[in-house]
Amino acid sequence: MRKPLYALLVVPGVALLVVFLFYPLVAILSPTFYDTNGLSISRYLAFFGDPYYMKILARTLRIAAIATLVCAVLGLPTAYFISRQRRGVKSFLMALSIFPLLTNSVVRAFAWIILLGRNGVLNDTLLKLGWIDRPLPLLYTEFSILIGTIYLFLPLMIITLIGSMDNIEEDITEAAESLGASRVAAFVKIVLPLSLPGILVGSVLVFTGTITAYTTPNLLGGNKNMLLATLIYQRAMSLSDWTGAGIIALVMILMTLVVVLVMQRLAGALDRR
Amino acid sequence: MAGRKHRLLMAVSILVFLFIAVPLVMIAITAFGEASTIRFPIQGFTLGWFTAVFASRSFMSSLLVSFVLAAAATLLALAVGVPATYALSRSSSHGKKLLSAFFLSPLFIPEIVVGYALFKFLVISMRLPIFAALVVGHFLVVLPYVIRVVGASLEQFDFSIEEVACSLGCNRPQAFAKVVLPNIGSGIIAAFMLSFINSFNNIPISMFLSGPGMSTLPKTLMSYIEYSYDPSVSAISVLLMAITVALMLIVEKTLGIASLAK
Amino acid sequence: MAYATLEDIRVSYDGKTNILEGLNLQIERGELVSLLGSSGCGKTTTLRVIAGFIEPNAGRFSLGGRDLTRTAVHKRNFGLVFQSYALFPHLSVYDNVAFGLRLRKLDAKAIESRVGSILDITDLAGLANRFPKQMSGGQRQRVALARALVIEPELLLLDEPLSNLDAKLRLGMRVEIKRLQKRLGITTVFVTHDQEECFSISDRVAIMNKGRIEQYDRPEVIYSSPVNEYVARFIGFTNFIDLTRIGPGRFRDSRGGEVLADLDRGAPSCVGAIRPDDIELSTASASGANEVPGVIEVRTFLGKSYQYELKTDLGTLVANVSRETPFEPGARVFACLPSSKIVVC
Repeated sequence: MRKPLYALLVVPGVALLVVFLFYPLVAILSPTFYDTNGLSISRYLAFFGDPYYMKILARTLRIAAIATLVCAVLGLPTAYFISRQRRGVKSFLMALSIFPLLTNSVVRAFAWIILLGRNGVLNDTLLKLGWIDRPLPLLYTEFSILIGTIYLFLPLMIITLIGSMDNIEEDITEAAESLGASRVAAFVKIVLPLSLPGILVGSVLVFTGTITAYTTPNLLGGNKNMLLATLIYQRAMSLSDWTGAGIIALVMILMTLVVVLVMQRLAGALDRR
Repeated sequence: MAGRKHRLLMAVSILVFLFIAVPLVMIAITAFGEASTIRFPIQGFTLGWFTAVFASRSFMSSLLVSFVLAAAATLLALAVGVPATYALSRSSSHGKKLLSAFFLSPLFIPEIVVGYALFKFLVISMRLPIFAALVVGHFLVVLPYVIRVVGASLEQFDFSIEEVACSLGCNRPQAFAKVVLPNIGSGIIAAFMLSFINSFNNIPISMFLSGPGMSTLPKTLMSYIEYSYDPSVSAISVLLMAITVALMLIVEKTLGIASLAK
Repeated sequence: MAYATLEDIRVSYDGKTNILEGLNLQIERGELVSLLGSSGCGKTTTLRVIAGFIEPNAGRFSLGGRDLTRTAVHKRNFGLVFQSYALFPHLSVYDNVAFGLRLRKLDAKAIESRVGSILDITDLAGLANRFPKQMSGGQRQRVALARALVIEPELLLLDEPLSNLDAKLRLGMRVEIKRLQKRLGITTVFVTHDQEECFSISDRVAIMNKGRIEQYDRPEVIYSSPVNEYVARFIGFTNFIDLTRIGPGRFRDSRGGEVLADLDRGAPSCVGAIRPDDIELSTASASGANEVPGVIEVRTFLGKSYQYELKTDLGTLVANVSRETPFEPGARVFACLPSSKIVVC
């Protein structure tokens, strides 16, 4: 059929996205570029000059970086292990890894409330063992947000890496071993370099996921340890600071775009293989 | 048994699996404890928390809201997304790339930002009823999944069977319905499942758009946790996990788990 | 004493069925030995036991008197060439070949000289900086070979290395492999399912079936006197007739006709085997032993000859006869099975 009809099929989607996504976005972002004197970026300068905001931004980036690193370090051997299993076991282990991804993030954060709270499992056990006299304040700290975030994104990293590792043929590692590489050496010299695309994609997903996540920092961090997402909510709902929330929103969008673009560049450079 | 074992690798992997599984198992166990706060290990055994959950109006009504919302948003996304993906797969590469990127763009906007933008626009400016706003918000979140999954199905589709159908007498809409749709059925089901689950579990959009009298289950759950700490939360968690397992089994029987790992 | 020995090897994955059972193999130093058989016969399993990827449930593998049965793969110093070449896609040809040498901590100068010389020997000079995906199948094969040879392995193990090449390349490459092997004197085990390829370059051939070695000898010996029907089928005997022995070299077939065979092993079960190329057809009967009357059912053109399927009282016989005197389907002919060409196994 001719082109005009195809256009018709696409129009509803385009219209809905423009009206309900792009217009509202513009509506919240454009006021951030005006101050009392008209068009200006003074609000952004104020944002980046404000130590309170910068502390939150630094905390968000710090947690995102550490979480990404830990997920990669833990995810690599696990994904490699799964990808080498035979079909039945592999399907089961993959299902085990996908299950948390489909479970609500509230439930996954709640698990750490149970574990890390003052009356939680960890403190209870340590008290009973006599290793401590008073419960440790583990919850509502950066540490609890970090653990919760790692817990949230580790399965995602594992699944992403499995996809990449499935493309590495088994006889390549066997060839490396026959040439004298121990299994560890074969993993480091052969599997790691060839998994780099998967590592990149997984890392981007974890990093951008962490800087935009709301549930985990909300439940495990409390008001003393805010991240960008909880900050937006507070600004918008509690303080009705629309422009403040808009500024943070744009910063978040830009950070996400930058990370994705950097990854695409890196992936392109690696593609000489 | 002949063969080699990867001992160190297996040890690390087992530890990681334990790390992932044990907390969830713990939640499940605490749902059965008799004490009025959450304790582990549990004392006593009761199903009372489950009955309390089923009896709670706020939990049940928000469960209903979540279900209906997920269904509505997903159906809307399918209705809009399937024809759009079909049109994209049939068009030349020039407009295709641009439009594909356009439809997938919501993925680059953090959900919390989408929630906030819609809050300002739909709730404050347009005064849209809460449910309608929720449907719009969830639709936006879910549409990229439909585009991606159905798009992947259509990429592998051999359009010459559509042409054969036309040669045998079908007009275009008939050919689409009789020949294209059934063959991308598994892709549509996968998209449905993925979208439904993601809408059901969504928090950032629901946080902003829920209101008095209408809330989704995750939001209700989160508010509850902020004020109380009793095993009914564990009970709901167990129910949610059970629903997830049920959905995974359905997908496994029809499509195979691997289709969700895209 | 043999250089490499497999003694009484048993391999089983589930404890019930044995992939290899009671397998014995002795290889002399500098020999090129092939393992030949159809899929599932256990030839690749045997190779992988030698390589160390499979630890046998029972039995020993020793090399030069040392027991290597439980030695880890990376400590064996064997060169491996896989069917898929298994080149490292992220490394250049030079780095692929140097990989094993770097692990052995050779210094850069030594590596450069050894890699350079092996690339010369395998005709890859000038391609050192290319990457696998930029190379043809034949070139990749040679890189895999170079990589395995440069470490000066004690054994070279090749698992169907030529299967992925086109026919012309296969012929060229197998000569290359033989040439290199002889020049470097490396003891080699070669796994294949292609009988012609294997017979052309091997010093000895082990024909395998269901985890056991049926016959292990020089190609010429196997070719002229296969030890049983399985082996005979593998090397081109397609006609088999049941015989009863009436004396040394003298047999009766199922019609009662007399059959003389020069090659009689004296084995209890008597099956006479003859190649299609060796059957002679004529319209006139010569009478006497080793003759079977029949009717031509199908004639196919093979280029150099016609192939005829004959229906006889002894079953269907397949004969390849030169194009000079073609026979028509339906014609009555007499098939002569010369006593010098029948093998009784």
